[in-house]
Amino acid sequence: MSESAVYMYALARSDGWQPTSLRGVDDQPVRTVSTGPLSCIVSTVSLDQFGEQALQRNLEDLAWLERTARQHDAIVHACASRTTVMPLRMATICADDDSVRSRLTGMADQVVETLAQLEGRDEWGVKVFAGESPSADSRPRPPRTSGTAYLQQLRDQRARIGDSVEAAARDAEVIFAALRDRAVLAHRHRPQDGRLTGDARTMVLNAAFLVDREEAAKFHDAVAELSGSRPAGSVVLTGPWPPYSFTTGVDR
Amino acid sequence: MSELSTGHDGATLADVLERVLDKGLVIAGDIRVNLLDIELLTIKIRLLVASVDKAREMGIDWWEHDPSLSSGERDLAEENRALRSRIAALQSSRPQEAPADEQVR
Repeated sequence: MSESAVYMYALARSDGWQPTSLRGVDDQPVRTVSTGPLSCIVSTVSLDQFGEQALQRNLEDLAWLERTARQHDAIVHACASRTTVMPLRMATICADDDSVRSRLTGMADQVVETLAQLEGRDEWGVKVFAGESPSADSRPRPPRTSGTAYLQQLRDQRARIGDSVEAAARDAEVIFAALRDRAVLAHRHRPQDGRLTGDARTMVLNAAFLVDREEAAKFHDAVAELSGSRPAGSVVLTGPWPPYSFTTGVDR
Repeated sequence: MSELSTGHDGATLADVLERVLDKGLVIAGDIRVNLLDIELLTIKIRLLVASVDKAREMGIDWWEHDPSLSSGERDLAEENRALRSRIAALQSSRPQEAPADEQVR
């Protein structure tokens, strides 16, 4: 390997679990760098791929970005299933282990406190979409002779979509409030743009909930029940995620 | 019409990118990289998707709903073109919009 650096995935307590068989984003073993009460889960990376210029170029490459993002997530995920972690943003890279240690020193108290809050809890994602996508079966099928009728159908369809987005947005508020009461913490992300999701339906809620692992089944039941009783929105549940959405804002 | 999907199947690339690029603890490393705004970045990603199979795999199939691109709806596109040319013809025959030197009435 040419000149190398240290890629950081997540923080954990140094008395916790140690990774043994994971491979990192650059196919090097995942290991920990520790100082005091904290460990950082890391792997060595080549500057050929993760140096400043290479990284800037690689982040523009869809295949590279997707592969690396999914690997980053998989490693954080694997660690989170064994110990309590604070995930770091993708592409946090230090020159060497000493540089990682110097980052950990000084933030220990705050991180240990946050790790205690995250212990035994997972993040669950709840997205709500408005109605059905305007797919082939629901699109107007105009009689070929009438442009006027076609335009009227289009207007009617747009009105219906507008109504269904409003109804779904109202349902989403009820769903968010009910689930927030069943979670330790709740966070609303910006709804994802349809151009990003590739989903023609309008996303009206994109929320993350921090839920006690013991309460996960009840949380799922609540999601299912709300999904059934709030028919204007289609509910998508994702998870369990490492607590990505509940570690932002620290040391910014 | 309400549907409930669960599990990892529901996690899209957008979900993963949103979390690993936009969430998580921020520590300034030694390698400084300008992570673009997540939204701009992912829109760009969508535009970069060149392979149809890859796009379908990622759940992108909007062109299948676009009348001008989908073969099953070509006649609809033709009807739209016919309507547009009819509108253009009607507009050009309206006296108040005709140039003064060509006005016949």
